[in-house]
Amino acid sequence: MENNSKKMLTIVLTEGPYRSQYADIAYEIASSALYKKYRVNIFLYMDATHIPKKEQNPHSFPNVAQKFRKLMKQGAKIRACVRCATARGHSCTQKSYIPGITITSIYELAEWIKKSHRVISLGD
Amino acid sequence: MIELDSSLIIIDRAPYGYEDAFSGFYICIACLNKEVDSDVLLLGDGVYSALKNQDSENALNFPSVEDLTYLIFPEGSLFVHEKSLKERGFMAKDLVEAAELINEQELYEILISKTKKTAFLRI
Repeated sequence: MENNSKKMLTIVLTEGPYRSQYADIAYEIASSALYKKYRVNIFLYMDATHIPKKEQNPHSFPNVAQKFRKLMKQGAKIRACVRCATARGHSCTQKSYIPGITITSIYELAEWIKKSHRVISLGD
Repeated sequence: MIELDSSLIIIDRAPYGYEDAFSGFYICIACLNKEVDSDVLLLGDGVYSALKNQDSENALNFPSVEDLTYLIFPEGSLFVHEKSLKERGFMAKDLVEAAELINEQELYEILISKTKKTAFLRI
């Protein structure tokens, strides 16, 4: 397998869970990239900041927060935009997210773009 | 493989009806702040973001996207797709100072000039 360990992939996700398949697509892309030894970042922007909310209980779909938790265990870094998250009621103090998610500013995305070899934006 | 050193933010939705225009400009502003060469490309309904004399603060109690256009200028370019603008009944004189009208050929050349070192983000 090609050595991709120094390559970084950043995914910018803008859609929330369940209404569309974008979160699942992001998961699949990130899983493949991690398997190929890429360093993977996912930046949750706008409605995508709902994705890592704790205690989701979808009856008809796989739990997307659990999928993203699995990605973090495999080494992916996942950040949520502070402006978007707080607007939607997710704050650092309330701990509304699954463990491992960091709420941060848009400037961290800019830093990631600078260090990345590929950037993919997913959203409607 | 090389790391990225520029970004092109593509916005094709109107401001105020959607959050996308605001969010796209915020990414561009952050990238410019971090010395990533960044531009905004307005296509389709996205061209409404470049209209001057927006009055969203009074009319909608929303911050003005027009103000954000000045925050990327002059370090970043604000490309406005001419065909999309004309289809919506507007002309160059209706646009903010920072706007740069581009026709089909210029759009093609901008996209071609962006190398593999550019992040294309449709917001």
